[in-house]
Amino acid sequence: MAAVYRTHMSIIGDILSTTRDEAPDESGASVTYLIRKANVSYGRLAKILETLVQQGLLEQTSSERACKYRISSRGREFLQAYRGFREFADSFGLRI
Amino acid sequence: MAFVFETALNLLGFVVGLALGIFSYIGFKNTGSPTLFRLNIAFFSIGIGFGVVGFGYMIESFILNYSQLDGWIQTLGIGIQTIGYFFIAFSHGIKSFFPKSRYFKSIIFPLFIIPGNSIEHIIRSISFILLVYGTIETIMSYMENRKRSTIFVAAGLGLLALGEFLGWYSIVFPKSVLYFISLSTKIIGLGALFIPISQVPLRGGLKFGSSI
Repeated sequence: MAAVYRTHMSIIGDILSTTRDEAPDESGASVTYLIRKANVSYGRLAKILETLVQQGLLEQTSSERACKYRISSRGREFLQAYRGFREFADSFGLRI
Repeated sequence: MAFVFETALNLLGFVVGLALGIFSYIGFKNTGSPTLFRLNIAFFSIGIGFGVVGFGYMIESFILNYSQLDGWIQTLGIGIQTIGYFFIAFSHGIKSFFPKSRYFKSIIFPLFIIPGNSIEHIIRSISFILLVYGTIETIMSYMENRKRSTIFVAAGLGLLALGEFLGWYSIVFPKSVLYFISLSTKIIGLGALFIPISQVPLRGGLKFGSSI
């Protein structure tokens, strides 16, 4: 099976989806968990998480062992909008 | 009567193109996606192209009271529409040929050599080729994703291509019904591109794109 290239935007969508739908507990998802679920390298994930927290799309929560990330209400709105526009672009056979 | 019908269809094309452009623009503002930016340019160009012809003819006949309408208005309008068709085809080209390079995408520019015999004729030919290419790529995408809305987009682009072909053919039979059939086909095609819009949230308040 051919590898599917993911755009920067689709990686962000995957990270937000993971924190919204697949977070293991209410405190959020750990970096290790996100690396595994969103299939991104640590270096890239760290930069994206920093941006998403700055933009208010993710909330950083501290736990005993490590930082965890939880989706914010703004992040939920963004994810909903992103999915709608992704559908729109998909209809043209394009990726956003 | 024919003039009124022609102007009305062009103005309808202007409205539909502009509406599609606004939706794409909202998408671009929300996500910062370059694909939506290109679709935004494409649909604004298509809409403005129809508008140039519609408003141009209205101004010439109602305000300037010309008895003979200028052909360059039609050529200019079709030329602007071709830019829109190019951006739709260009987006597919980027996806097909430059899937991983962000830098190549921004530096590719079109190179069209235009002989000087009939500008409108040549512009229509270019539009037709771009639209056929867009239609084929969209059908290929449908084979992969099996989304019903993709079929509507493919049909829309196909109808636009057919409209351009009929428009080109109407040069052979000037002042025949072919031109109106061409224009109507293009408007129906543009309307078919509206189907995926129903899935887009009608909000423009969120602005994340530039920083993400």
